[in-house]
Amino acid sequence: MRMKRSLMIALLLGLTLWSALYAQRRFRRGMDWPFQETEDVQPADGDEKTEFAFARLRYPNWRSNDRQWSMRGSWSVDYPKADRQFVQGVRRLSRLHVRSTEQVVDLESDEIFNWPWVYVVEPGHWDLTDAQCKKLREYLLRGGFIMTDDFHGSMEWDIFMLSMKRVFPDREMVDIPDKDPIFHVIYDLDKRFQVPGIVNYPFDQTYEYDGVKDTWRGIYDDKGRLMVGACHNMDLGDAWEWADSPEYPERFASLAYRIGINYIIYSMSH
Amino acid sequence: MFEFLFKYPLTVYQKGSVVLQSGWSVWWWALASVVAAGIVGWLLLTKWNNGKRAKALVLWGLQSTMIALVLLLLWQPGISIATLKPQQNIVAVLLDDSKSMGLAEDGTTRRDEMKKTLEAGLADGLGKKFQVRYYKMGTRLERTGDWKGLTGEAPVSRLSEGLAQIAAESGSLPIGALVVMTDGGDTAGGIDRQTLATLRSRRFPVHTVGFGKEKAEKDVALIDVQTPTRALADSRLGVTVSFKQQGYAGQRAKIVVSEEGKTLTAKEVTLAADGTPQTENLLFNAGNAGAKTVQVSIQTLGGETNPGNNALTRLVQVESRKPRILYLEGEPRWEFKFIRRALEEDRSINLVTLLRTTQNKIYRQGISTPNELEGGFPSTLDELFGFEGVIIGNVEAGYFTPTQVELLQQFVDRRGGGLLFLGGRTTLAEGGYGASPLVELMPVNPGERRTTFVRDRATVALTAAGLDSIYARLEEDPAKNVERWKKMPYLADYQNPGTLKAGAVVLAEAVTSKGRLPLWVIQNYGRGRTSVMATSGTWRWQMSQPLEDKSHEVFWQQVSRWLVGATPGRVVAALPRTVFSDEQRIPLRAEVRNRQFLPSTDGTVEARISGPGGVAATVSLQPDPVTPGVYVGEWGAEKPGSYLVEMYATRAGEEVGRDTVSFRREDGVTEAFHTQQDRETLERLSTQTGGKYWTPQNVSKLPEEITYSEAGITTREVKDLWNIPIVFLLLALLRGGEWMLRRKWGAV
Repeated sequence: MRMKRSLMIALLLGLTLWSALYAQRRFRRGMDWPFQETEDVQPADGDEKTEFAFARLRYPNWRSNDRQWSMRGSWSVDYPKADRQFVQGVRRLSRLHVRSTEQVVDLESDEIFNWPWVYVVEPGHWDLTDAQCKKLREYLLRGGFIMTDDFHGSMEWDIFMLSMKRVFPDREMVDIPDKDPIFHVIYDLDKRFQVPGIVNYPFDQTYEYDGVKDTWRGIYDDKGRLMVGACHNMDLGDAWEWADSPEYPERFASLAYRIGINYIIYSMSH
Repeated sequence: MFEFLFKYPLTVYQKGSVVLQSGWSVWWWALASVVAAGIVGWLLLTKWNNGKRAKALVLWGLQSTMIALVLLLLWQPGISIATLKPQQNIVAVLLDDSKSMGLAEDGTTRRDEMKKTLEAGLADGLGKKFQVRYYKMGTRLERTGDWKGLTGEAPVSRLSEGLAQIAAESGSLPIGALVVMTDGGDTAGGIDRQTLATLRSRRFPVHTVGFGKEKAEKDVALIDVQTPTRALADSRLGVTVSFKQQGYAGQRAKIVVSEEGKTLTAKEVTLAADGTPQTENLLFNAGNAGAKTVQVSIQTLGGETNPGNNALTRLVQVESRKPRILYLEGEPRWEFKFIRRALEEDRSINLVTLLRTTQNKIYRQGISTPNELEGGFPSTLDELFGFEGVIIGNVEAGYFTPTQVELLQQFVDRRGGGLLFLGGRTTLAEGGYGASPLVELMPVNPGERRTTFVRDRATVALTAAGLDSIYARLEEDPAKNVERWKKMPYLADYQNPGTLKAGAVVLAEAVTSKGRLPLWVIQNYGRGRTSVMATSGTWRWQMSQPLEDKSHEVFWQQVSRWLVGATPGRVVAALPRTVFSDEQRIPLRAEVRNRQFLPSTDGTVEARISGPGGVAATVSLQPDPVTPGVYVGEWGAEKPGSYLVEMYATRAGEEVGRDTVSFRREDGVTEAFHTQQDRETLERLSTQTGGKYWTPQNVSKLPEEITYSEAGITTREVKDLWNIPIVFLLLALLRGGEWMLRRKWGAV
C-alpha cells in the first residue's frame, strides 16, 4: 500500500515537472515563432480534371507504449498547405498539367491505382497491415511510385522498414547513386544537402534525433526503375509548406522543390 | 446411230465442207426444184379445186420436197475433207507418269486403267493408222517405247511443258495429233497461254483422255494457306487456312500450325457442307529471328482417300532487325510512361523518346549516342529517316517548323514509315491540326473545335475491322478476344478525333456517356501508314489490372508492330512466293533506294544464296528496264530444301544495304493436291485446239477421229453423200407419207 502511494506521488511529481518544462518550451517558441498556420482556402480550380494530382497516402499509425511517440507523426503532417504550395511550383516550373488541390488516398480501396505517384509523409510512424502491404506491393509493381519524406533518425527508419520489409521482403533498400536519372531528369541534383524542418528553426542545426546525414535511398524493380524514393533525415514537406515564409531559407526550399519535381517527372517517364 | 444414218462420223461433217460433184451450179438445181414444184402445184390444184385445197397443199409440199431431193442427188453432193495419210503421220501419246496416277479407285489404279485402255484396242487402233510415239510425262517429257515402263514416281506432271516441248521438237515432223492420257491438268501452274497459242498455230489437235473420279468420295483437303512472308521477332502472326471436304459434313477436325513438330497453335473446326470452301484464321507467335518453316495441317479423318492433301508448308522470315520508333511527347503524361514500359519489354522494338518536361528542356531516353536528337525533334532528313516509326503525343501542330512538317510527309510517303498521333489536351483539334499541313497525313480531319478532349471515362469496343485485325488481338481466339475487350478497364480520357477520311479504317471505338467515337483509326499513306489513337488514357489498363495481366503491354506492342512492321529498308528483297513446289526457277527481285529513299539506279546488286547440302551461289541482279530502282535475276534451285537469299547492294564501293529472304523448294507435294480428275481443264484444252475429250469408255473411236486431222501429211478426199442411208429413208418417208394420206383422204 505504501509502495503504491509512493509510486503515485512520484508519478505526479514527474508529470508536474514535465508539464512545466513543456509549457516553458512552447512559451519560448511562441515568443518568436514565425511559422503560423493559416486557414485553408479551397482554390477556385480545385475540381479541375488534370493529368496529375498530388496524392497523399493516409496510413495507420504505429502503436507503441510510448503515447507521445505514437501521436507525434501522422499521414496528415503539413497537410494540405505543403501539397498545394508545392503543386504551384510544379505548375510554374514544368509542363505538367497539375490540379491545384491534393488527393488523399489509402490502401483500403483500389482508388490508389488511379494515382501512380503518391507522397508518404512521416513513414517513420506508419504501421501497415498485411493486406495494405500486399496492395502497396501490387501498386508499385504495376507501375506506381511512392516518395517518402519527413522521417528522421534510426528509430523512425527502423519503423519505416518494418512495413517496407513486409511490402518487399525480397528487395533491398539501397542508396540511390548520384548518376541515377531521378537526380537529373530535369534538374541536375548531384550536390544535395539536408533540408531541415521548421522544428530546427533557426536552422543552426538541420537534423533531428540521430539523423545527422541526409540519405537518399530507394527500391528498384527488376528493370532497374525506382519504385520507392525514400528521402530520409530531411523534411521536404516543411520546405514546401514554408517556402513562402521569409524565415525559411530559400536554398532549402529551392532544393525541396527541385527534388519533388524530379521525383514526379521521373515517375512519369520511367 | 449417227454413223448408221449418215454413213460417216460426225467429225467428217464438222470438219468437212459440202461440194456438188456434177459441176452444175446450185442455182440450176434451185430453179429446177422451183419449176418442178410449180408444175406439181398446177396439176394438183386443177385436179383438187373442189374445196380440198388444204389437203392439196400438203400433198404438194411432200411431192415437191421429194422431187427437190431427187434432183439434188443428180447434182452429186459430196463432202470434202482432209484426212491423214495412213502410216505417214505421227501421233504423239503423252502418258501421265506422276504419282497421282497410282491412286487406287474401285480396286484399280489410274495407271492400270490407262494401260488397260491402251491394251484394249486403242494402241492397236492408233498403230494401224499412224506412227505412234509414246512419251512419259512427269518432271520432264521423255520418249518411251511403250506404256509398260511407267513407274509412277514423277513428283509432278508438267503438262504445259510437255506440250510445249512436243510442239518445239516437231517442227519438221508430221504430227497428226497429240493424245494426252492423264488424270488432270498441270500441277505445276496450269497450261500457259503461249503453249496454247503454239498448239493452235500449228493446228495440232490435242485429244485428252481423262482418268480418275471427278469428285472424291471422302476427303478433307487444304486449298490454300496464307501467312506473312516476313515478320519482326515475337510478332503475332496470322495464318489464313482455306479448306474443303467431301463426305464429312458436320464432323469436327483440328487445324494445327506447327514448326518442327512443335505445335504453335491449333483450332478445332466443324466441317461445312460437301465441297463448300471454308476459311479459318489462326494466330501464333513468330518467336526468335530466323527462317521459320511452318507446317499447317488439318486432321486426317477416318476413311480419307487422300491424306496427302491435308498439310502445306509455308516459310516466314523472322527478321532480326530492331526498328527504331521516335516518340515525341509534349508534356509529362502517364500514357508516356506506360507506353515506354510496354515497349521496353519488346525486344524487337527500339524506342527513343523526347519528352518536353519544361518550357526549355527536352528529356531524351533511348538515344544511341549522347549527341543524338540534342536539338529536339529531327530537322534533317538523315536524322528522321533513321527511324521506322514516329509517335506524336500531346504536341500542338505549331510546334513543328515547316521543314519538319515536310520531313514528316516525306517520312511517311517516301520512306514508308509509320506515323501515329495520340490524343491529348493540346493535340488533334485542340492542337490546331485541323488548320495545319499535317492534316494531310492524318486519317481523320480533326476540325477546329476546341472542346474535343474529355477527361472522363470511356470503354473500348472493337469494330468489325478491329475484330478481324491481328493488331487488335489481346487473345488469339476471336471469341475470347471479344470477351477480353469487354472486360478491359475504362480509359482515363478520350477525344473526338474528327471526321474520317476516305480510306480510313476504324479498328476500335470509344464508348462514352455521349455515344461512340472513333478511337483507333488507321490508313495507308504513300509507301507508309498513319494512325490516330484518340486517347491518352490506356495507362489505366496497366494500373487497374493484376500484375500478371499483360493486355496493356500486348496492345502497345501490337500497335508498334503495325507502325513499323512494314517499313522498308533501303534494300528490299522479294520473291514471288516462299514455297516453290516442283519448280526450280527462282525469280529474284530487289528494290534499292538511296539515302533520300529515292530509287537508286546506279548500284550493284548481288544475291548470295545458301541452301541444303552446302549449296552456295552468287547471282548478279540486273536493273529492270521498266521500273527504276528495281533489280531482277533468276537462279535455279535443284535440290529440295530451305534456302536463304541475302540481297546485297553497293554503290561506288559502299554498302547501300542488305535484306534477307528465304524460300523452300519441295517436290511431289502439289501432286497430292487436286487428285480428282480435272475434266474441266482437259475439256478446255481439247476444245481450244480442235481436239476432243475422251473417257476410257468411248476412247476406242479416237483413231478414226484423228484421221480427220488437218495437221501432218493429209490428203483431201470427197465422200459421196448420195448413197447415205438417211437420203433413202427420207425419200421413203416422203413417198410413204403421201401414200398414207391419200388412203386416208380417199383420194388414191
